[in-house]
Amino acid sequence: MWFVRFVSSSIGKKAIMALSGLMLLLFLCSHAAGNATIYMSRAVFQGYADELHSHPLIVLIFSSGIFLVFLVHICVGILLFLQNRQTAASRYSVSTRVVANPLASKTMPYSGLCILVFVLVHVSGFAFGPEHEPIAETVKRLLGHFFYGLFYLVAFAALALHLSHGFWSMLQTFGVNHPRYNPLIAKSTLVVPLFFLLLFGGIALYFMTGIGASF
Amino acid sequence: MSTIDLTLQIWRQKDSDSQGHLQIYTLGGISTDMSFLEMLDVLNEKLTKEGKDPVAFDHDCREGICGMCGSVINGVAHGPEKETTLCQLHMRNFKNGDVLVIEPFRSRAFPIRKDLIVDRSAFDRIIQSGGYVSVNTGGTPDGNAVPIPAKTAELAMDAAACIGCGACVAACPNGAAMLFTSAKVSQLCLLPQGKTERKARALAMVATMDEEGFGYCSNARECEAVCPKGISISNIARMNREYLKAVLLEG
Ligand code: HEM
Ligand code: SF4
Ligand code: FES
Repeated sequence: MWFVRFVSSSIGKKAIMALSGLMLLLFLCSHAAGNATIYMSRAVFQGYADELHSHPLIVLIFSSGIFLVFLVHICVGILLFLQNRQTAASRYSVSTRVVANPLASKTMPYSGLCILVFVLVHVSGFAFGPEHEPIAETVKRLLGHFFYGLFYLVAFAALALHLSHGFWSMLQTFGVNHPRYNPLIAKSTLVVPLFFLLLFGGIALYFMTGIGASF
Repeated sequence: MSTIDLTLQIWRQKDSDSQGHLQIYTLGGISTDMSFLEMLDVLNEKLTKEGKDPVAFDHDCREGICGMCGSVINGVAHGPEKETTLCQLHMRNFKNGDVLVIEPFRSRAFPIRKDLIVDRSAFDRIIQSGGYVSVNTGGTPDGNAVPIPAKTAELAMDAAACIGCGACVAACPNGAAMLFTSAKVSQLCLLPQGKTERKARALAMVATMDEEGFGYCSNARECEAVCPKGISISNIARMNREYLKAVLLEG
């Protein structure tokens, strides 16, 4: 069957990584848009959260969908990582990377796992936090702890690292590679991770430094 | 004529089943005008005179067009000079007193036969599975009967420059053969003669590539950086498009 052939092929698995990565990226965009209301005021943010949660079915469908996408991305990612270790584990007594900056591509599984740990901590803190506490209060309370905020910053840095290879890699896997657009893609591969780092990191910094104490 | 003295650490392995090891040799008075393979010739002459087994390495044309030569020099396939095969690499790229670690092109799909010689017949099997155009025609058709835009012809020629040396596999941290396979897929799918079978070809060549035990591409870009023919990873993007179209529509 074509689907089995697709899933069992190397390029098919790459496409699954890229497609799930794209969906995670889109989720990240919507999450960033929602959280950006924190920069406006407590009332706007709380209003956004209340509005969102007044539609429990939508929240349920989207959160279980994104959970599934996460699961696929992680499982296929780990599978490919393990398979590649078999083909190429420490082959040379001298190994040299010729590409200028291989850090991001070398650390994809590790930066990915950092994100996973973060997501677990984040979800258990916010989605399953104390009931009847307004979410704006939870955000202020949790991120007000310096080390909690620091952990968030480290995780956002890992996300930025992951995307600084992942964004370009995703497009290459989809076959998007054209001399006219390659300079734009190269720029976006810096701008997109930086955008998320600044937007999310700014929120963590706002609370952990105490500036947001009056929030 | 300037000469240099070198310390070589060369991978010696009796046959596919033996355990290999790095053997140290010192070699003096190497002319910087020599090619890398000529330097190995000098070493082998010396070893032969001493009654020792010369270092086995692949080579044929020695002018950078056949794809037979290639080793990993200090971790870089085909050595330090860009877009250059090992046979065209000259000793002027090295300094007096350099230590050169010379290892075979390693990959699960390329078993070592002896010393620096690896078996790259997995590449041949990828070609056999679809790297051809199966039309049986009579005489040569008129050159202008099928118009091909110059840009397309150039792209096909660029892809056709691949000499099948295997450096891309050797350099890939995952031992993937995407650059080689994509060069062959691209070369054929760009031209009218190859378009008819493009879907079947992409499916068959990728399937063979996977079966032969090559790794999975993680877009590390090392292949492109060492390729002696400057094959671009835009060919890999083209193969991804070809394969995805084929598997979704006809797989
Ligand atoms: C919000 C979270 C995440 C986003 C937005 C994201 C995004 C992406 C993107 C866009 C790619 C590129 C796909 C491609 O190469 O074609 C990718 C690759 C990958 N991701 Fe993630 N990812 C996330 C979380 C994770 C997690 C939790 C893991 C856990 C292990 C992970 C592991 C990987 C691996 C191993 C790759 C393959 C890298 C490669 O092919 O070199 N990612 N990710
Ligand atoms: S793509 Fe380049 S490195 Fe790979 S086999 Fe062809 S010529 Fe050699
Ligand atoms: S010996 Fe032919 S390419 Fe080097």
